[in-house]
Amino acid sequence: MKIQAVNIHKAYGSRHKTEVLKDVSLTISKGSYTVILGASGSGKSTLLNVLFGLERCDSGSVLYDSTDITKMNDSALTAFRKEHIGFIFQQYYLLENMNVEKNVRMGADLVQNKQYHEIIEAVGLKDKLKQYPSELSGGEQQQVSIARALAKNPHVLFLDEPTGALDEQCGRQILDLDYIMRLHQERHFTILMVTHNQNIAETADTVIRMNSGRITEMIENAHPKSAYEIGW
Amino acid sequence: MKSGGNMMIALKDMKKLTTVSVIACCAVFVCSLFMNYQWDLASVEDQIVNEAGRMMFEAQIASGKVTIGVTGGCLVITSLIMLVFYIKSYIDTHGKELGILKALGYRNIQIAKHFWIFACSVCAGCGLGYAAAYFYMPTFYEIQNVEQLLPKLSVNFYPLSALYLILVPTLLFALIAIAYATLKLKHPVLDLLKNRRTGKSYRSRKENSACSFLHDLRKSTLRTKKTLVFFVAFSAFCFASMVQMSISMMDLASEEMGMMILNIGLILAFVTLLLSLSTVVKGNMKTIAMMRSFGYSDASCTKAILGGYRIFTIIGFAIGTLYQYALLKFMVSVVFANMENIPFFCSASVFYHNDHFYRCL
Ligand SMILES: Nc1ncnc2c1ncn2[C@@H]1O[C@H](COP(=O)(O)OP(=O)(O)O)[C@@H](O)[C@H]1O
Ligand SMILES: [Mg+2]
Repeated sequence: MKIQAVNIHKAYGSRHKTEVLKDVSLTISKGSYTVILGASGSGKSTLLNVLFGLERCDSGSVLYDSTDITKMNDSALTAFRKEHIGFIFQQYYLLENMNVEKNVRMGADLVQNKQYHEIIEAVGLKDKLKQYPSELSGGEQQQVSIARALAKNPHVLFLDEPTGALDEQCGRQILDLDYIMRLHQERHFTILMVTHNQNIAETADTVIRMNSGRITEMIENAHPKSAYEIGW
Repeated sequence: MKSGGNMMIALKDMKKLTTVSVIACCAVFVCSLFMNYQWDLASVEDQIVNEAGRMMFEAQIASGKVTIGVTGGCLVITSLIMLVFYIKSYIDTHGKELGILKALGYRNIQIAKHFWIFACSVCAGCGLGYAAAYFYMPTFYEIQNVEQLLPKLSVNFYPLSALYLILVPTLLFALIAIAYATLKLKHPVLDLLKNRRTGKSYRSRKENSACSFLHDLRKSTLRTKKTLVFFVAFSAFCFASMVQMSISMMDLASEEMGMMILNIGLILAFVTLLLSLSTVVKGNMKTIAMMRSFGYSDASCTKAILGGYRIFTIIGFAIGTLYQYALLKFMVSVVFANMENIPFFCSASVFYHNDHFYRCL
């Protein structure tokens, strides 16, 4: 799906309004791997949340092909997320009282995907099936969250600082998951990742730079690097 | 299709709902005992021939009404509010899970409908109380009729009471839980995910820098957890009214019955207190853990977190005592308003005692 954001504005607070997104417009082509790069507090997460309908913007529109999700009501938006969106956050957001398998099924059941075991295996959690999130390391928890997102067969995968809470080795492992990349190539879904880490941006084919609520630059990267070629 | 929502409330959490069952069980036990007795008694009205039996009949019908009114009124209101608050605080503390499911794309009703599980514990409690009442009924009937003034009563089963005491509460609580969860799910997803409060700002407005951290903590715990404050005050209210009820029932009814109600009242009172205390501690768990890891002593943690609730507990106690006293007065005055011809009924609070009654004759 092609994603198009047009003149997005977003401000927080009632009395002292702080503008977080100031007239943001961008286009993300189908099947691309795009990174939004910017300093902490520049509004990346807000933009991402607006793009997949977790948060509403004050004005502007977000188009998926030709559907405008900013015009949708709450339940239509939920149905839209179910159908098209996978997300991975820095704070894994797993259900603590369920084991790995159930957490992944939470995504798989939503679209009646019976092949979720394959995904669990691919992200490397085959022997941790019955363990609970609190018994896993940060990296492993993030793998569960990735498996959950992929099990939904999304058309667009959103990642918000997926390696933000992880050390270098775990981080590289997450980014290197060749399963994501293989799927990415096979199914041609779109990946949009947010990070403040300059090096991680080198793995993407398009890099969008953000600075205090505005897009300052958009670079096509002719030779994306792998997760082990970049610095950290 | 099995959706993720039904896995949300794991069995682990169900264990915590046993308190819910205990409350429902006690309430239903007492209510069904008296309801059944009332109905059985009413069905033999035309078989009563002698004067003494007639008076005994009227007195028992009346005292039954008071007991149902007082215990029922107390227990029903208590358990209703306790359960509603329990469900509310449960759903409030699980906002994040709701947010995760909603963010993934589960529809509101798909998530909310699984909260019918609360009704399970209500149903289990009611069923248990109902069954226990039937077991105890033969003994109870004998106690009520030791003087043999009334015709021999046999225990009949009334399907209608099962409807009132099991089915209705179960459905009611299922609906309440689902409705509240649906309401909660109307919040923006991101607010649920981040456990953010919507609406008014809850931070202290006039940060008085002269006050110590502990002092501010005590005030802000109260401010941010208003429902918890209510819950604590209410449980003190329950405690007081249960105790008051139990003691007044000792005077009002036969000794065995008084003891039974006293026991039930005390069980409920302690369960209530336990529930609210654990809710307070759980609600402030993170703060306590953080403070302790910083090296604050247990005593100062406890004082800061629990100290603020003390005044509300006292208020709750006072209102509970007053409420129960007023309810009793009210029931007695309403039920006995048209029964002046009963000679031994003189004072409002001490009304009859089986032995006393016998001697009067
Ligand atoms: N709910 C909120 N209320 C008020 N301000 C917010 C809220 N969420 C984010 N902000 C502000 O918006 C700005 C951008 O936040 P965010 O999008 O999370 O930045 P980034 O992800 O780039 O670090 C920050 O300055 C933050 O203070
Ligand atoms: Mg961010």
